[in-house]
Parts: sequence; structure tokens; C-alpha cells
Amino acid sequence: MSRSRFDNLLSTSIASVRVVLRKAFRSLVVFSGASAVFAGCAKNAPQDTWQPKGPNSKIIDDLQQPVFAVAGIIGLIVAVTVIYTLIKYRDRGQPIPEQTHGKPALEITLTIIPALILAVVAVFTFGAIFKLAKTDDTEMIINVTGQQWWWEYDYPVQNEFGITQPIITSGQLVMPVGTKVLLRETSRDVIHSYWIPALNGKRDAVPGRVQTLRLEADEPGIFAGQCTEFCGLSHANMRMEAVALSKEDFAKWVANQQAPYVSPAKDTLAKQGEEVFLNQCVRCHQVNGLVRADGTPAIAAPDENVWSGAAPNLSHLMSRNTFAGAMFDLLSKQCRDEVWNAPSDVVGAKYLAGVTEECLNQKDLRAWLRNAPEVKPMYANPANLAVSNGKYRGMPYLALSEDDINKLVAYLVTLK
Amino acid sequence: MFSTGFKYFFGVTVLSVVALIMSVALFEKLALVGVAISFLIAAGALLAGLAAFTSDGTTRDANTSTSELVTQSMWPLISAVGVVFLALGLVTSSIVFFGGIVVLLAALSEWMVQAWSERASTDLSHNTAARKRLLNPIEFPVLAAVGLGVVIFSFSRIMLTVNKSTGAVLFIVAGALVLVAGTLFAIKPNLKRSVGAAVCVLGALGIVAGGVAGAVSGERVELVEAAAEGHFSHAECGPEESKYFDKLAEGTLSLRSNVSAIVVYQDGELIANVQGINSPQKSITVARSNPTNIVFRNATEGEFRLVAHLGHSVASDKTAAGESQDKSHQDTTCTQLVAPGAEQSMTFSIAKPSSAENAYYLYIAGSEDKKIEMVVP
Repeated sequence: MSRSRFDNLLSTSIASVRVVLRKAFRSLVVFSGASAVFAGCAKNAPQDTWQPKGPNSKIIDDLQQPVFAVAGIIGLIVAVTVIYTLIKYRDRGQPIPEQTHGKPALEITLTIIPALILAVVAVFTFGAIFKLAKTDDTEMIINVTGQQWWWEYDYPVQNEFGITQPIITSGQLVMPVGTKVLLRETSRDVIHSYWIPALNGKRDAVPGRVQTLRLEADEPGIFAGQCTEFCGLSHANMRMEAVALSKEDFAKWVANQQAPYVSPAKDTLAKQGEEVFLNQCVRCHQVNGLVRADGTPAIAAPDENVWSGAAPNLSHLMSRNTFAGAMFDLLSKQCRDEVWNAPSDVVGAKYLAGVTEECLNQKDLRAWLRNAPEVKPMYANPANLAVSNGKYRGMPYLALSEDDINKLVAYLVTLK
Repeated sequence: MFSTGFKYFFGVTVLSVVALIMSVALFEKLALVGVAISFLIAAGALLAGLAAFTSDGTTRDANTSTSELVTQSMWPLISAVGVVFLALGLVTSSIVFFGGIVVLLAALSEWMVQAWSERASTDLSHNTAARKRLLNPIEFPVLAAVGLGVVIFSFSRIMLTVNKSTGAVLFIVAGALVLVAGTLFAIKPNLKRSVGAAVCVLGALGIVAGGVAGAVSGERVELVEAAAEGHFSHAECGPEESKYFDKLAEGTLSLRSNVSAIVVYQDGELIANVQGINSPQKSITVARSNPTNIVFRNATEGEFRLVAHLGHSVASDKTAAGESQDKSHQDTTCTQLVAPGAEQSMTFSIAKPSSAENAYYLYIAGSEDKKIEMVVP
């Protein structure tokens, strides 16, 4: 093959590749744009910020709707102008046009118009900020503490709601509807961010600070949320759910949370599970009222084993629908759907039914007990704990036998 | 032909794909590595596509000529210093290690830009100007910030060493010198730049030398004692008064924005005000294993101290016979004696939940019946 033929062939090949790449690039742009547009049509979107379910989220929605419209129109104008300019004045070999320093009148106009728009937006934004920052009309307090990678909720004594002794729970925040709830947020390790889109905006949970967030739900229901501040390996698995119950149902929930511990009957699998729990789990997990064989209270010591100094309190575990930082459901899929899809007038009753043996999501619970770090990424490898003074971030692998897991599951189901 | 940019990014993409395949083969779990390499592949492919689509943005009058106008460079030497710091840091301290990284990165960046600018054209002055245009906006602020930081830090060392009255005199002298220098430059605008530079350099060197001397001799005695005593809590919870209590430290924003409860002693009663709860409380909830800030407000006519009872711990004590014996100790922390109408805060963390056998409470020193229960769920 002669040199010129080879060059021609090479040039043709390069031109062909360029054409293919251009087509692929255009397809990619079209596909990305279409994906972004059609993503907005999703129906199963529990964290949709455009569906407020309480007065606080409605304040945000009332602000974001017009701002989004204005910003959208401006964005469209800018995009069309840029595209028009790029195409009309693209380099086609024409001489470079005369260079001017600028047009002061146009520049001042184009500065004043956005400034005025932003000033108007700022007025309404400040109004919304002050409304959302109010705390003097609070009716109920819940302390919320974030840690890698779960949320703890403790309810101080509030006799008007029947809370005569502090309640501690995790994963699901339970609150009465039509009640102005003030969350007092903080963190035990790194910065997290609490966000239930249907009920309010985000608020960071910062170690060493207490920050407040108002929540109020109009109707009973379960509302999903997600930690929105990157907080480590399982940040994406640090979820939360807010459960709004009618005042009557909330009173029942409170009564159940304050009910004394009931030890399983003797000579049952659950009783053997309680022993396994005392030997293995109570190092970190507290179950209020649980006593050792000698009658002394079983006090968990997560401060000696976990970097954050805390592990979920498992009292009344089966009154919750989730575990492992709300990453997994305690309910099987069918039972979960029955609760989540229930109309607002019966969702409370379905939620309060808790997790029965038939509805228990055995698969995920057993997988968690078998090897927690395998199903949820955590810094729990004993070989890599030098930087945390030997303490785990998350639940470690406990090397439980299948027999122990059977016993533990039988025991955990009794924690109603 | 394929453009240079395309070849580069295509190479990055291919290498990333190879790295991903090797990672899949070598590691059981990819986790962050897999995510990072995947993003690298996506970014490389996108940039390769862009480079091919735009032909590297080549213009008709692109100047591709190169030259051999290579000047001497100090950056290899500084890079070597960075590597040495890096190696030293590995066996000494992480500060030295990170210092080495900073020096190395800065030197490599400078070196890279210098190498590029020397080949930008055949005109040496144009090349120098190109380098300056690119790097001076970064170099000047960074060097100024580092220089100012060193001078300010040195001045702070001087002020921490000398006693209070000498410190005041030093401030007056420093202010006067700045005023004189400013006046001199104002009335003699034609003064040589070298004179001004010399004055500034000498002044800075003097401050740095003083700072080094101050750092060597250490902080003045009362600062050392005050640090040992602490600003927020007192070492002993008895009746003794503290000597160096920093009242200004109580007003910090970080402390005021993180109050778990404001405890007020008034009319012989101790009550707690908790944000969001409108009525005064005799019991507060404290999160387990988390720092808790309590502000104590003394609304009486006398001086009082708030004490936090934080349970008991067991420690080994020596008996008279020299044998060690486990003994239970009461764990407490407390404020300093708080003057009438004044406030003070204290911080503590409780790891274990409260129970009937293990109660936590706040009380007024000397009047243990005036107490507030702390419930740790």
C-alpha cells in the first residue's frame, strides 16, 4: 500500500470516528436531558419536596413555587440566549468583529434587574426563615441525636402527653398530628443533617451544638427522610421516618413505650435468646428493665465499644417498623405496604399493631445478626480500629451461630 | 488525526477501565475505590468526547512553535526539600508530613507552569509574562497571607510572654511606629521603594525574632496557672475561690447556642429552664455520651457554686500499709463561685443511663437538698 493511500485511509477512518463520536455525544446529551425531565414524573417518590404534609413544609413550598417559576423563566431566557449566540456567532472564518469595552447603560440595567428580583425573593425568604425559626409556640419537645449511621429520639418528661418517664427510641420519630413539635438536634460524632421533606426543610445536627427544627403533620401518616450531610461510609443508609399518629393513637404509643419490661417465659426459645442477648448484645444495646441472672440491672456500655458512645436502645423494638438506622424494614414487604399505603384514618391502628411474628422480615434481620458489616458498610473491621482507639463505628461481626441467631430472633420478637 | 487532548483523556479512560477490572479481580468489595474509578472512567470518557468533538478547541492561528529558551529553575530543589519533609514526616509528625505535601505540590505546580511557559513561544519576555499572568494572582496573596500569619503569630508569642503592663506599652510603641512610618511615607512620596521595603522587612524580622524568643521562654506564669485551673469548671468543688476565672469566656457564641438547660438559683429554689418547655423544671433529660452544657444563673444575694453529681467510679487507693484497695469515688464537676446576678456554665458528659441506684443530679454546693434530677435515658 502506497503512503498516500494509507494517509487517505487513515484520514477517512478518523473522520468516521469523529462522526460516530459526535453522534454518541449528541445522544448522551439528549438522553441525559430526557432522564432529568422524566425523573420528575416519578410517582413513588416518598421524599418529594413538592408534596408538603404540614404547615412548616407548606411555608417552604409557598416560597419555592414562585421562586422556581421565576428562576425557571430566567434560566430558560439565559439558556436560549447562550445557545442562539453560540450558533449564530460561531467561528466560520469570519474576521474578528470590532472589540468594545462595554455598554454601561446595558450593564447597569442587567445588574439592577437581577438585584431587584433577588431583593423581592429575599423579602419573602426572610419572612419564611423567621416563621420556621419560631420556638415560643412549641407544644412538644423531642431530642434528636445523630450518630454514624442512625438517629436516636428521646422524649423528655411531658405530662400533658402522658410521658411521665423519658422515652427513648430510634429509626422512627413518632409524633402526634396537629402538634407543634420542636426537635432539639445534636450529634455525637460528625455533622449529620435531619430532613423529612414532607414536614420541613433540613437542619444540621452538629456535635457540641443544639439546633432546633419545627415539625408538624396535618394528618396521620409515615413520612420518609434521609441524612443530607455526608457523614461517612453509610451516609446513604442513614435514613429516618416520621410517624404521625392521631392524638389518641399517640397516647397508646406512649403508654406502650412506658410499659414495663416483660421477660420471656421460662424454658422457651425466647428465654434462651434473652441469655444470648445478655452475653452478646447488652455490651452496647440497652433494653430497659432487663436484669441479669443475679438480679442486677443489665446496663449497656456502648461508650466502651462504639466510637459515638451510643447504640440503639432496643426497648420495645417491635413497636418500630425499621432497624439498622431505618435501612431495613422489620416488617415483611406485604405487611409494610399495608401500613404505608393505609388511609390516614387507619394508618395509626396498623402502625400500633407493631411487628408480629408473621409479619417479621426474618431475612434481613437474620442477615444483620449474622454479619452486620456485610449488609451495611461500617468501619467495623477489628483490624482497622487503631484510629478509633479500638472502638467500632457501627455494629461489628459477632460470629453468632445459627442456633444463637434463632434464639435472638425469638427473643427480639417479644420486645413489643 | 486524533487531537492531543483526545489521546490523553482516552488513555486515562482506558487505564481507568484496566484499573477497575484489576480492582474487581483483586478486591472482594470495591466500595469507594469502585465508585472513584467509575467516576474517573465517566469523566475521562466525557472529556475525551469533548476533546474529539472540539478538536481541542484548536484555532486557526494557534502558535505551536516551541523554543529552547529554558531558564534555570529553583523548583527541583524545592521539590526535593518537600520530599525530604515528606519522608521525615512519616517518622516524626503528621504536621511535617502535610507540610511536605504542601511544599511538594506547590513546587510541582510552579515547576509545571514554568516548564510550560518556557515553551509557549520563541519570545523570552512573552514567556515570562505568561508565567506571571498565570501564577502571580496566586503567589502574591498566598505569600502575603503566610508572611502576615508568621508576623501575627510571632507578635502573639511576644504578648503571651511579657507581663500585662509591658504588653500595653508594646502595643503603644507598635502603633506609634506604624503612625510614624505612615506619616513619613505620606510626606515623602518620592522616598525610594528600597527604603520602605527595608523598613518593613526589618520590622517584620524584629517581630519574628521577638516571637521566637517569646516561644522559647514560654507563657507568663499567670496564664499557665489559669490554663491549669480551667475556664469553665473548677478543679475542686469545695468552698475555695478561683484566682483566674475568665468571665469573657462565658459569653462565647458557641457556648450560648448550645445550652441544654439554664439552671437558676433564686429564693432558695433551684429550677431549670429548658428551651421549648415553658414551665420551670425540677428534672431535665440529658443525652447519653454527649457533651452537655448547663448555664448556672445565680439570682440570689450570696456567692454559690453549682455542682453536678455524675455518679460513682471505682479507683485503686493505697492503704496505710501500702496495699492497693478499690474504693468508690463520687464523680463531680462544678462551676466556680458565681457572684450575685452572674452566670457561669459547665460542660460534662454522662455515659451510663440513670437508674434508682445510679442517679445523676445538679445541686448547690453546701445545700444538697437544692437539686435538679438529670435523667439519662
